[in-house]
Formats: sequence, C-alpha cells, structure tokens
Amino acid sequence: MKYTTFSREQNDALKEPMFFGNPVNVSRYDQQKYPIFEQLIEKQLSFFWRPEEVDVSKDRIDYQSLPAHEQHIFISNLKYQTLLDSIQGRSPNVALLPLVSIPELETWIETWAFSETIHSRSYTHIIRNIVKDPSEIFDDIVLNEEILKRAEDISGYYDELIDATRQYQEFGEGEHTLPSGETITVSLRALKRKLYMCVMSVNVLEAIRFYVSFACSFAFAERELMEGNAKIIRLIARDEALHLTSTQHMINIMASGEDDPEMAEIAIECHQDAIEVFRFAAEQEKAWASYLFKDGSMIGLNEAILSQYVEYITNVRMQAIGLPKIFETSENPIPWINTWLASDSVQVAPQEVEVSSYLVGQIDNSVDVDDLSDFSL
Amino acid sequence: MTDNPNDKPSTKRPWVFIQGQQAFQFDAQQHDSLLEAMEAHKVPVHFECRSGYCGACRTTTLDGDVNYQHQPIAFIRKGEILPCCCQPTTDITLVQD
Ligand code: FES
Ligand SMILES: [Fe+2]
Ligand SMILES: [Fe+2]
Repeated sequence: MKYTTFSREQNDALKEPMFFGNPVNVSRYDQQKYPIFEQLIEKQLSFFWRPEEVDVSKDRIDYQSLPAHEQHIFISNLKYQTLLDSIQGRSPNVALLPLVSIPELETWIETWAFSETIHSRSYTHIIRNIVKDPSEIFDDIVLNEEILKRAEDISGYYDELIDATRQYQEFGEGEHTLPSGETITVSLRALKRKLYMCVMSVNVLEAIRFYVSFACSFAFAERELMEGNAKIIRLIARDEALHLTSTQHMINIMASGEDDPEMAEIAIECHQDAIEVFRFAAEQEKAWASYLFKDGSMIGLNEAILSQYVEYITNVRMQAIGLPKIFETSENPIPWINTWLASDSVQVAPQEVEVSSYLVGQIDNSVDVDDLSDFSL
Repeated sequence: MTDNPNDKPSTKRPWVFIQGQQAFQFDAQQHDSLLEAMEAHKVPVHFECRSGYCGACRTTTLDGDVNYQHQPIAFIRKGEILPCCCQPTTDITLVQD
C-alpha cells in the first residue's frame, strides 16, 4: 500500500476507517464520519494564543531570587517539557498522517501538532527571559540522563510505528529478505498493533507526564512566583486537555471496532500492555519527581505529594479509557491545581492579560525591579 | 416530589441520589451545573477544565437524564455524564468509584 498525497480513488470518506483505508484525497469538512474531530479542530482554533501575549519579564527577577534547588526544579521541568513538545510538534504528523483515511482526523492531527509548536515556542520565550544564554538549557536536553531516559520511551513508540509503516509501504505484507540478508515479516495486523500502542503512549504522555511539570509551575505561582510562566503553562494545559481527549476518542473508536473490527481484537490483545504503559510511565514520573527534589523540596510540594498526584492522575486517566485503576490513591493531594486547570479562569484575550510585548515579539532586556514597582500582577 | 410533565425545567427541582442515598435537589436557579451543586452539597467530585473538554469530572449514572447547554467534547460512554456542563432534567442516581 503506497501513500499518495492525492488519491484518485473515488471513495466515500464516510465509509473509510480512521486509519489504514484509502489515503485522504479531498479535504472537506461539510460532512464527517466522526464529527468529534471537527469539534476538536474548532475548539483548538478557538484556543489559539501566542507566547508573546504573556508578559514574563517579572519572572527573571523571581528566578534570580529562587534558591538553587528551586532553580533546578524550574529549569529541569522546562527542559523536560521542551523535550516532550519537541516530540509532539512533529511526531503526530510524521507517524499518523500517512495512515489516516478521513479528512477531519487528518486535519485534527495537523491542528494538534501545530499547537504543540506554539508550546515549544513558548519555552523559548520563557527561557530567553530568565537566562542570558538559552543554549545552556537547550543543549543540556540531549545530554541530561534523566531526560534522555524518558525521551527514549516516548519516541520509541512513534519510531517503531514509523519504521513499520515504511516497511509496509515499501515491501507490502509477507516475508522479505533485505539486501543485508536480514529476513523481516511485514503484517498489517502487527502494524495496527503498533499504531494502537503508539496512541496509547501518546495518551499517557499528554494525560500524565505533563502534569508533574504543571504541578510545579502552579506551585510556584501559588506563592506568586514565576507567574508569567504559570500563565503560559495554563494555556498549554488547556491545549493538552484537548489533546488527551482526542486520543481517548481514538482509543475508544478503535476498541469499539465499529470502524475496523480487527482493531477491537487488537485492543483486547493489548489490554495488559496498555496497563503496563501507564504503570511504567507513572513510575518514571515518580522517579522524575525524586530527581526534581533531590536537593530539596519546594513549599507546598515534595516528592511524596507529587508522587501521590501522579498516582491519582494515572488512575483518573486509566479509568477514562476503560482500564482498571492501578493505585490505591483516590484523592487528589493537591486540589488547588484544579483552579489552575479550570478554563473559566483562563484569560486569553490580549486585552485581559498583562501585555508587554504583545505582537511585538521583542524582549526588553533592561527591565529591573524598579521598573516593575508600579506593576501589580 | 410530583413529576408533572408540564413543569417548566426552571421550576422543577430534580433529586440527585448518590449511591442510592437521596443527596440533594438540583436547583437551576442556584447552580449553573450539576458540578456546582455537588460542590455546594459537599459531594466529592473530580474536575479540571469545568468546560466539558477534559473529561476529569466523568461520572457514572444508574438512571436519570441530563441536559448539556453545549455539546461536550470530552469522551464519555453510555451511562456516563459530565457534571461540569450538564443539568439534570429528571431525578438522577450517581455512582461514585
Ligand atoms: S471538568 Fe473537564 S469535562 Fe468536566
Ligand atoms: Fe504540548
Ligand atoms: Fe499535546
């Protein structure tokens, strides 16, 4: 099955499955097989924001006054988020677009990935403001062992899917001997399995992994520190809630088999593997919490509380897609985080937020405490 | 409570049952959503977005009907509701896990 950017097949897109049918030809949205993806596109577009709309200049002064162990917490989270959004800004496009068969899902994936590039741009906006040389932070992302461990597990599912898709497109189903002498077996079912597990791992990434960093960002802001950053993280969190909802819908449609009966069988086969993806990520995020707090906790948040939050949120997300919860915890140890996650308190309209460089994109490097004395945030 | 089908929704105050216990009457004059009413009556409930797109408030119902002001985006199965963006239109029984 070769991918084509414009299939000549006179197919009815309403009869195509989400994945592995004919490639999409006409991008039309007057009719949808799954209106939910059209609604997600609309919602994501209505959420549009630009990092420059949020004034982060006071954060530099806050950052300089943070004790070293809190600077470590702040910077490490930014590095980890930068990694996650670097992956998310490209991978849904590269891995999923060649397999999609309905226009509303294709465009949702593109819209989704585009919003991730905004997240990445916002980290540059934040980092440029707090340090003289952003390279110090960015360069460490590909060196830092703690971050690399996570990168491998997240990008692994995408990379395997991309590679399996390539083999399927190149050789088709069956046994093949490569020029290297290696024999490979290509099967559509195995490829579908990789897709299912990849979407599962993306759900875990967006529904659990991000929330450890979110918690730290909001914990700073609860103390009126790094509030520019928290405003941005709030906008990111709002987008991520949409993204995790979208993968929950995909998982559900696949598991229901309504669109591809083989996918329903695969979902049953992968039940235990799916649970393990959640368990593994939760353990990894708890280990991350321990790395964050290795030199000391922050007010309102320590390793134990953050780990309990990871367990709580893991349970919530697992139950959302019909998996059993795996932790005893049923209470959210940091209920204040929900105020930050609630959208009715998110202000986005540029006239409502404190704007310094709105649509200018310039960073004023000479701001100091005195300049901010008559500012109230 | 008498169920008169001619009652306007605004004057009807459906009962909310939780785990089989009569918990409170929903009053649309006082609360915009079932979630707000649950909070006011100290019924534990999860939430994040409070706008129907994250799914954190997802709750299982045994019976009863709700009305959504806007079609929510979050994924729910049959028998599940999103209290953050709905109002009960009949007596309703909620299950908590
Ligand atoms: S709180 Fe997000 S859907 Fe109800
Ligand atoms: Fe993101
Ligand atoms: Fe995302």
